[in-house]
Amino acid sequence: MDAHGSSQLGSAAASSERRIAELTILYEVSCALQKTVDEEKALRIILAGVTAGRGLGFNRAFVLLADSNEEWLEGRLAVGPASPEDAARIWREMREKHQTLEELLNSIDHSMDQEDFDINEIAFRLRIRLSDRENVLLKVMHSHQACLAHDGWIGYLGSRIEKQFLEILGTGSFALAPLYLADRDLGLLLADNAITKVPIELANLRTLQIFAQAASAAIENTRLYEELAAKVILREKTNLTLRESQDHLLRSVRLSTIGKMAALLAHEIRTPLVSIGGFARKMLRSTPLEDPRREEMQIIVSEVTHLERLVDEVLSFSRIAHPEYKPVDIASLIQSVIIALQDEIEKNAVKPIIDIESSLPLVEVDESQLRQALLNLVTNALDAMTGGGTLTIKACRDGSCIEIALSDTGIGICPENWDRLFSPFFTTKVTGTGLGLAVVSQVIHNHRGSLRFDSIPNRGTTFYIRLALHQEDAPVAPVPANVETSQETRI
Amino acid sequence: MKTILVVDDDRNLRRLYKSELEAEGYRILLAENGARAIDLVNDESPDLVVMDVRMPETDGLEAMARILRERSRTPVILNSAYSCYKDNFLTWAADGYIIKSADLVPLKEKIREVLCSRTAA
Repeated sequence: MDAHGSSQLGSAAASSERRIAELTILYEVSCALQKTVDEEKALRIILAGVTAGRGLGFNRAFVLLADSNEEWLEGRLAVGPASPEDAARIWREMREKHQTLEELLNSIDHSMDQEDFDINEIAFRLRIRLSDRENVLLKVMHSHQACLAHDGWIGYLGSRIEKQFLEILGTGSFALAPLYLADRDLGLLLADNAITKVPIELANLRTLQIFAQAASAAIENTRLYEELAAKVILREKTNLTLRESQDHLLRSVRLSTIGKMAALLAHEIRTPLVSIGGFARKMLRSTPLEDPRREEMQIIVSEVTHLERLVDEVLSFSRIAHPEYKPVDIASLIQSVIIALQDEIEKNAVKPIIDIESSLPLVEVDESQLRQALLNLVTNALDAMTGGGTLTIKACRDGSCIEIALSDTGIGICPENWDRLFSPFFTTKVTGTGLGLAVVSQVIHNHRGSLRFDSIPNRGTTFYIRLALHQEDAPVAPVPANVETSQETRI
Repeated sequence: MKTILVVDDDRNLRRLYKSELEAEGYRILLAENGARAIDLVNDESPDLVVMDVRMPETDGLEAMARILRERSRTPVILNSAYSCYKDNFLTWAADGYIIKSADLVPLKEKIREVLCSRTAA
């Protein structure tokens, strides 16, 4: 073999070796890319492949992508040393660590360190307005052809690159590979040897273009994945909202049916009760005091009174199914509740303290429902303080909500009753109907607010009502309202 | 002696109201529905009508409307098992609205009050 043939063979061998090295890199980068669905990580893998000494061996690499508004093409990520001093240190460290490309790629999860920070500061300053039709870099992007820039010139276009761009980058010589998909342009992959000043070979440019294609596909994949993930989340959220609304609706329908039946029944019962109780009272009045039958008549009268009260409460319970929201002054509402119960407050020797934030805005509520709820809570508080005490009602704004806290210094609620407290027909009182707190719970549920309480036996109880200032801000209420299982429950 | 017309479709209640109100010293007329009530108002000119609201055929609100149109000075107290009618603007024309109860004291007080104010006027 002559010298010429030997050199030909040598260069062919070198070329095949390079091709094998490039394919290996590409293979390794592709493998690493398959393991990620995160755009930034995918970009870092590609840039690491472009810059790693065992990879393409560029000094630095930058990815420029269009922003979300499609206004700017801007530097998104960069890899490489920011300055020759940095470079010397990084490459020394890399040599000392004997990292293979795969090791380097696998270590990419780590967060940005200082040199990443410096080089990315350069990347973030690289910006080109996408509407600038004359911009030579955009022309390269649209051409879908990789090319080299020499001293600020793109030879085949015969155009000069904008001076400011070159100043930020710190060099006029680099390789450019467009990032694009079949239907649109994504950006540019830029790589240079700004530190070592080694000229860029055409063979490297071709490989860079292959990298750029892999990068484009990876970017598209991660974006599609993100879009899909966002859609899945949205769908789950929609499903949840739908389910909650459906539950809310079913509950309303059920309640309204039960409410109508209860109302009908209550009215039907009321008429005979008036007869029974009315005649019993008449007989009681006309029966001599010493007649032993008086006691039995008295039983009829008081039982009828109790039943009539039950009917009243069932009716007020069934009326609360359909709230009508209007802006209401909570201070006046609380005041009116206190006035309505003034006699009972005085009779029980209870001292009322009202503490309402002065600049409280109007709150969108069903006034009669909320009045009923507050009446029930105050009545309960009074019943808990038969030996006197203090009733404190506070109201204050908390962001887009209002919180009303109603405290008594009464006997408190036994912990064993906490679970059933808001259940209809649960009562600890001798003459109670067990609907008072169920009504409160239902009203707050209708307003999609929350109700909770703290209670210490023999010290007192505080109920907290939280309502949205505007009904459209209120969250969709979860299902349970009447049967509460914990002391503190959203309803 | 003041005459009160009690209108109610429930026989037992008519009997109860009659005996209780007679005991208060009133003369009591009874009607079981709205149409009969209108006839009695025209024939007997009672001083006051205690009217049930929910009744078959002519209900209390309709009967009251006709009484007020024809004999505007006859006072009417509505006496109902339902509170929901309170929201009906027709009830505003009544001189009183009592929720039916075995305790007849509120009704008797309202009757006295309305009759007094009419006598004074």
